[in-house]
Amino acid sequence: MSTSKKKAFRIEPFKHKVEIDPKYAERTWKVLDEAICEIYNHNASGLSFEELYRNAYNMVLHKYGDKLYMGLVDTLSRHLKNMASTIEAAQGGLFLEELNRNWLEHNKALQMIRDILMYMDRTYVPNYNKTPVHELGLNLWRDYVVRYPKIKARLLDTLLDLVYRERSGEVINRGLMRNITKMLMDLGIDVYQEDFEKPFLEAASGFYKLESQEFIECCDCGDYLKKAERRLNEEIERVSHYLDPKSETKITAVVEREMIASHMNRLVEMENSGLVHMLIDDRYEDLGRMYSLFKRVSGGLGLVRDVMTSHLRETGRQLVTDPEKLKDPVEFVQRLLDEKDKYDKIITTAFINDKTFQNALNSSFEYFINLNPRSPEFISLFVDDKLRKGLKGVSEEDVETVLDKVMMLFRYLQEKDVFEKYYKQHLAKRLLSSKSVSDDAERSLIVKLKTECGYQFTSKLEGMFTDMKTSKDTMQGFNAVVSNADSSESPTLSVQVLTTGYWPTQSGAVCNLPAEILAVCEKFKTYYLSTHTGRRLTWQTNMGTADLKATFGKGQKHELNVSTYNMCILMFFNNVNSMTYKEIEQATEIPALDLKRSLQSLACVKGKNVLRKEPMSKDISEDDVFVFNDKFTSKFYKVKIGTVAAQKETEPEKQETRQKVEEDRKPQIEAAIVRIMKSRRVLDHNNIVSEVTKQLQSRFLPNPAVIKKRIESLIEREFLERDKNDRKVYRYLA
Amino acid sequence: MRKEDTVKLISAEGFEFVIDRSAALVSNTLKNMLTSSGGFTEREFGEVRFPEISTRILEKVCQYFYWSLQYSSGKEVDFPIEPEITLELMMAANYLHT
Repeated sequence: MSTSKKKAFRIEPFKHKVEIDPKYAERTWKVLDEAICEIYNHNASGLSFEELYRNAYNMVLHKYGDKLYMGLVDTLSRHLKNMASTIEAAQGGLFLEELNRNWLEHNKALQMIRDILMYMDRTYVPNYNKTPVHELGLNLWRDYVVRYPKIKARLLDTLLDLVYRERSGEVINRGLMRNITKMLMDLGIDVYQEDFEKPFLEAASGFYKLESQEFIECCDCGDYLKKAERRLNEEIERVSHYLDPKSETKITAVVEREMIASHMNRLVEMENSGLVHMLIDDRYEDLGRMYSLFKRVSGGLGLVRDVMTSHLRETGRQLVTDPEKLKDPVEFVQRLLDEKDKYDKIITTAFINDKTFQNALNSSFEYFINLNPRSPEFISLFVDDKLRKGLKGVSEEDVETVLDKVMMLFRYLQEKDVFEKYYKQHLAKRLLSSKSVSDDAERSLIVKLKTECGYQFTSKLEGMFTDMKTSKDTMQGFNAVVSNADSSESPTLSVQVLTTGYWPTQSGAVCNLPAEILAVCEKFKTYYLSTHTGRRLTWQTNMGTADLKATFGKGQKHELNVSTYNMCILMFFNNVNSMTYKEIEQATEIPALDLKRSLQSLACVKGKNVLRKEPMSKDISEDDVFVFNDKFTSKFYKVKIGTVAAQKETEPEKQETRQKVEEDRKPQIEAAIVRIMKSRRVLDHNNIVSEVTKQLQSRFLPNPAVIKKRIESLIEREFLERDKNDRKVYRYLA
Repeated sequence: MRKEDTVKLISAEGFEFVIDRSAALVSNTLKNMLTSSGGFTEREFGEVRFPEISTRILEKVCQYFYWSLQYSSGKEVDFPIEPEITLELMMAANYLHT
C-alpha cells in the first residue's frame, strides 16, 4: 500500500454496484446541502464528518462529481449573496466590521466544507480541471461580495477615508484595517493591488502634493525636512501595521516624489534656511536629515554635493584672495584648517562619511588653495610658527594631529617644490638659531613628507639635520683642543658646518669680523681642515648670533644677544664713542640693506636701544651718527636684540624665490622628458606633455610652455630630434 | 494511556478498535476528521464509525497504521496482505487516503 503501489492501480467502482437507486444522487446531495447550510448557521456540532465525507466520496465514486461540484457552487453563491446584502445593509461605521465578521465566518465555513469534500478535491478537481474548493470559495467571495458594485465602491471609500483620517492625526481601528487588507491579499495579490493599492497610492500622491505645497510656502527648509521625514516614517509605519510589506517601496516612492523630488531645488536654495545656510551654521541634524532624505531620490545627493562644492569654492576663494586676511600667514593657514575641520565634521556627522562628499571637499580645497600662489609659503610659515613656539608644552599626540593637518593641506598643494623651498629656508633658520621646540616634531614632519613625496624630496632636509649633529661633534673636539692649548680670555666660538647644497643658498656677502673673532675663526679653520682635508670653509656671517657682555654708564652689566652683524657694529664702540653711518659701512662692509636693518634694531627699538642715533628718527639714513647709549637700562640681565625675524617675504624676495623655483624646475622637467623618451623612444608632443605632467605632479604642476622650451633645449643639445615626416613627433637619440 | 491519546474506530459490524491517535493520523482522512474545526462529532468524542468497512478489513487497516509508523521511513519490511482481501483493502485505503 505504498505510494508507488497506489499509483499503479486505479480504483474503479464495481460495475454491478452501479445500478443503484436513481434518486441516490439527489438524496445524497440533499444531505450535503443541508449540512453546508448548518455549517453556515454555526450548527455543525452533531454532524458526522464520516457520514458527510462518505456521501461526498460515494457521489464522486459513482460519477456524480459534476453534480456535487455544481451544487457546491450554487449553494456557496446563494449564501454569499445573502451575506452581501447583510453587509450592504450595515450602517456607516459598522460596514467594515460587518464585512470583517462575515469574512471570518465564510472562511471558517469554507474550511469545514473543504474538509468534508476532501475526496472531491483530491480526485475530481484535478481530473476535470476545476478550481479547488478553498480557492473556489475565495473567488466566489471576491465576485459576490468584494466586487459587488455597491460594496466595492463603499469599501474603497471607507478604507481611503480611514487612511486620510489617520494621516490627519485621528486614531483609527488598525486591527480592523489590517483584517480587511489581509482579506484583500488573501483573495490574490492582484485583488489587493487593483482594488486597493492603486487608488491608495493615487490618493497619497494627491494628498502629499497638496501638503508639500502648503509646507513649502510656510516652512523653512529645516522644518520642511522634519515634516517630510515624519510623513515618510508614518507611511512606513502604516505599511508595517496594516498593509502588504511590498507596498512600502511604492508608498515611500510616492512620498519621496511629492515631498522631496519635486521641491528639491527650491529646498536647497531656500533663502536663510537652505543648504548653504545649514552649512554655515553647522546644522548637523538638519544636514543629516537632508542627506538621508535626498539620498532616496535620484539626483538628490548630486544636487546637495554640487551646491556644497560651489559654496565651498566661493568661500574658499574669498578666504585665500582677501588681502586683509593674507596679512598674517599663521592665521591664514589656521583659517584654512578651521574650514577643513568644519567640513570634515559635517561630512562625518551629517553625511555619514560619504566618499563622494569627501572627494568633493578635497577637490574644492585643492581648487582654492592653489588659487593663491603664496599658499605654499604660508603653510611653511605656519609650520615654522608652530615649531618655534606654538607647540611648546603640547602633548605628543596633539603635535602629531597638528602636523597631520598640515600634511593634509600640503597634499592639496600643486606646487610642492615651492613649499619645499620655503620649508628649507625656515627650517634652516630654526636649526641655526636653535629655535625649534622639539626635535621629534621636526623629524616626524620630515618622515611624513618623505612618505608623501619620496626620498628625493626630503634628502636635503635630512642632510641639514645630519650637519647639525656632526657640527656638534666637531665643536666638542675643537673645544677640547682650544681649552687645552690656552685658557686666555678669547671669545668662545660655536660653529655649524653646513654642507653646500643641503642648505638654502644665501648671498655669501662676508663682512669684516673684529680682530678678536677673526683669530678664533682662524683657529677653528685650521682645526677643521686638519681633520677634513680637501674642504673649503666660508663664513656665513649673515646667519650667526653672538652674546656680548656690556657695561653701561652707571656700571650696570647686561648680556646682549645679537646677530653677527650687530656684534661687529657694537665691537667698534669699545674703542670710539660715536661713528657715522658711512664709517660703519666702510669698516664692516656689511651689505647696505642688512646694515640698515641692523642699525635699526640697535638704535630704534624702544627698550633695546643700546645705541643712540642723531638725529632721532624711525629710519636710518646715510648721514646719521651713532653714539653709544650710556643711559641704557633694562629690567633683564639678558637682552635679546633680534633683527627682524622670518616673516612673510617682501615683494622682491618673493620674486626672487619664485625665480629660483622656476630655475630648479628646469632640470627636473628635462630629467622627466629624458626618462620618458628613453623608454618610449618615439612620442608626439602632446603625449610628452601629459606624461611629464603626470610624473611631476607630486612636486608641482609644470607649465606646458616651459616643457616645450625644455624639449627645444634638449633638441639643441641633441638628446632628441624631430621626426623628419611629422614635426610633432620626437625621437630619442643616443 | 490517556483517552485523548487514543481513538476508537468502529467497524460495520460494530467491533471497536482502540488505537493510538498518532497511528490513526497516518490516514489523511482520519487526520482531517479528527482535527477539522467546527465541532463535528468525531472530533468531539474521539470515535469514528465506518458503516462500509468490515471488521476484517478495519483490523488490517489498523495493523497497517502501526506498520507504517514503524517502517515508513526507509526500512524495507513487507506488509503481508492475504490475496482474498486485497481489493477491499485497496478500496478502504483509497477512502481513508492512506
